[in-house]
Amino acid sequence: MDKLIISILILLGSFFILVAAIGILRFKDLYGRLHATTKATSFGILLLLIGVSLYFNVFQVYMKALLIILFVYLTAPLAAHSIAKSFSPKGEKSEDTKENT
Amino acid sequence: MTEIVPDIVLYIAFAFLMTAMIITLARLLKGPSINDRIAAMDLIASIIMGVILVYSVLINNSMYFDVPVIISLISFIGTIAVSTYLTQKNG
Repeated sequence: MDKLIISILILLGSFFILVAAIGILRFKDLYGRLHATTKATSFGILLLLIGVSLYFNVFQVYMKALLIILFVYLTAPLAAHSIAKSFSPKGEKSEDTKENT
Repeated sequence: MTEIVPDIVLYIAFAFLMTAMIITLARLLKGPSINDRIAAMDLIASIIMGVILVYSVLINNSMYFDVPVIISLISFIGTIAVSTYLTQKNG
């Protein structure tokens, strides 16, 4: 039973990171790519951390996993917001004039 | 007691993560603007965190759990630094 839960958590976490990678390849503009890569990656890392810390079952590993989850969920929206704020849409519409910017 | 997770699960997880890594490297190489490349770099850091977590299960050593903490810190600092530079350069 324990084996089944850990296996499902690890596979689901890897699958959500793969979904984020497919999203960053298939979306058309930068905002769609940020939408794909921020949320799906955070959720995949969350599932992977829960699965791996259930596998080791040590108190220090639980504390480190809690620290990483807290940090990822605090900083992934901040990073996406900062990338979206530094984006100038004028530079993307005309791709031929992008070299001199 | 040492092998409570079958190896095929870990290998499938490695296959998922490596496919994600190849796709993200394609976006990193052909991204139209530099913001797409920063987003791809952020995703690559997360993929490497996942690879190290699965690898620590494969070799059954919890010492590798320190590495994702540092990677998440460094990745956030790098993303903020490059995007702040781009914001100040554009306007």
